[in-house]
Amino acid sequence: MVARRLEADAVIVGAGAAGSMAAAKLAAAGKRIIVLEAGPAWRIEDLTSSQIWARRLKWGGASVLSEGEHRFGHNMATGWGLGGAALHHYANWPRLSPDDFKLRSLHGEGADWPITYDDLRPFYDTVQREVGVSGDATAEVWRPPGEPYPHPAMPTLPQAAAIARGFAQRGWRTSPAPVAILTEPREAREACIYDGWCDAGCPTGALANPLVTYHKQAVSAGARFLANTQATRVLHRGGRRAIGVAFRDRDGEGRVEANVVLLAGSAIQTPRLLLASADADAPDGLANSSGQLGLGFMAHALVAIQGVFDSPLSNFMGVSGGNLVCRDGYGKDPTPGAFGSHEWVIGAALKPNDLIGIAMTRPDLHGAALIDFMERDGPRIGGMGGLCETLPRPENRVSLAPERDAAGVPLARVSHTFGAKTLALVDYVRREGEAIMRDAGAQTAWSSPIVTLHALGGTAMGDDPATSITNSYGQTWDLENLFILGGGLFPTIGAGGPTFTIHALTLRSSEYLLARWASVVR
Amino acid sequence: MVGRRTLIIGGAAAAAAVGTGLWFNAREARLRGDALNLLNESHRLTLEALGETLLPGAREAGIAHFVDAQLRNAPEDCLLTLRYFDWPPPYGAFYVGGLTALETLSQTRHQMPFHQLSPAQAGAIVGGLLSGQVEGWQGPPSPLFYLSVRSDAVDVVYGTVEGFEKLGIPYMAHIEPQRPW
Repeated sequence: MVARRLEADAVIVGAGAAGSMAAAKLAAAGKRIIVLEAGPAWRIEDLTSSQIWARRLKWGGASVLSEGEHRFGHNMATGWGLGGAALHHYANWPRLSPDDFKLRSLHGEGADWPITYDDLRPFYDTVQREVGVSGDATAEVWRPPGEPYPHPAMPTLPQAAAIARGFAQRGWRTSPAPVAILTEPREAREACIYDGWCDAGCPTGALANPLVTYHKQAVSAGARFLANTQATRVLHRGGRRAIGVAFRDRDGEGRVEANVVLLAGSAIQTPRLLLASADADAPDGLANSSGQLGLGFMAHALVAIQGVFDSPLSNFMGVSGGNLVCRDGYGKDPTPGAFGSHEWVIGAALKPNDLIGIAMTRPDLHGAALIDFMERDGPRIGGMGGLCETLPRPENRVSLAPERDAAGVPLARVSHTFGAKTLALVDYVRREGEAIMRDAGAQTAWSSPIVTLHALGGTAMGDDPATSITNSYGQTWDLENLFILGGGLFPTIGAGGPTFTIHALTLRSSEYLLARWASVVR
Repeated sequence: MVGRRTLIIGGAAAAAAVGTGLWFNAREARLRGDALNLLNESHRLTLEALGETLLPGAREAGIAHFVDAQLRNAPEDCLLTLRYFDWPPPYGAFYVGGLTALETLSQTRHQMPFHQLSPAQAGAIVGGLLSGQVEGWQGPPSPLFYLSVRSDAVDVVYGTVEGFEKLGIPYMAHIEPQRPW
């Protein structure tokens, strides 16, 4: 059978936050866009309010093999299908701080970004206007300069209010979390009613998942999304020009030939695809003349703190990501031996089941003790997460395993172990969090093991082709018409949800590409 | 955009359809004595006893039928928490391996099947699984097996509309599940 051959001006791999946004911007500029997405064509109607049904939205593609002392929890943290991980993300949208961009220069740790906060600031401002971000820029005293939020802040709900007392006791400030969740109606999207189903996907559009933002815009502008279609290889000429992407779907194999290729998969699937595209012209993987491809993979370290209060807190109300934040501890050197910022995210809505549910806060309990806990303590639990910055380490990497998936593509292997300075930071944050919870009036307070969160790095941007994969626009050093989008570009990760920054970077890359289209496609 | 009112009305229609028995319900399947697909009778007895030890009510809520039905699905359609633990498919081998290991442990310690142990005996075995320090355990990692089945038990007992009600938690669905899982 002859392989199908499609043509486009640009082919994008991955229909998550970055891929959907790039498709929208490029299609709006008149480009013919095809987006290849390995997972299903989710619709709004698929976003069932159930923590059980929500599992369909999480990664369901080829297995990712994990190793290391702190294995990356892949399937829970990533998504697949239209919308990608952003379809079920919690929409905490902080900006990175100016310090986060210059870790090496200012602190001698990690790496510098090739851009500053000021370079990215206008893109943050544009994205928050386009998407609709809610918050209180005045109360958020740590927030770097930028336009005020276009929508008012979330109200402070009882759970977060109770915990905030612990912060106040030590003179620390809390503010409403900045969220890509509407507090008031916006066009056809409804305001949030704080029912806590964000993890299962928000069908009313209150939470800005791609199906209600850029995917929708991209489709309106003529972009063509091919779901259940796995990219298997980036096609190239001599390792110097990308000429398209090979794919496999239910009908067999095919290829999209395009002038520009944009890889917008996760920080694991993008290096996997580039490594799997190796041939005689690119023996170590495509776009890997630096030898850095897949190296420096990062995940945030999260420690969850729980406490049982005297009275019920209506903890079923709220959003999955948290109601308030505190960044009074965002400095990089909180205690000797530790390094990195941390952010407290306070008062997430709780459901009974699932990894993020009430029952799993005490995995040691079973039998009658578990019932007692669920019925007696469950309504009185307050929780918060200490999100910790981690550092890029070359030994934390994405590589190819000998095993292959059904399409014949080698599986990704992720090696991940936190360094000593990160572990010291997590210990410090754990002690701090339990003390805050007790200060807030909790009868008992306890904490979770370290949880890994957000797949980042591994295809880092930089100033030097010898030590990075792309320039600051995600344009690979080796192939002028091959771009990388998404969290894989982060040289360092700060301490906050990455999705806002992913959008800002993608907008910047899209504008750059459109401005130089003729020279890039030459 | 689909409005909230539309979604709730749609959900109500779906709930009515559930009442017609068109869709799978593990509790009812158990009551009817439906045959399992992947798990055999011995597995069923062990899984129900383990579920009941972890969370009383799990047996009656149909934990074995729930797990078996999910194991029938392709990995990408499987709704078990095991999916989140990055255990490579096929997931059936994980459950069969864990249940067999538990049965062997029960026979070694008490010379009787796990489902015939007293609550105290079963509780003592289950209590050791999370630590991973179970002498003679020959199955998938015992903490992972414990957490997976415990989460399955919590799903069937508390993770549904009825389960929320049991705890006094308002379900507040945008789109009600057309069936529990």
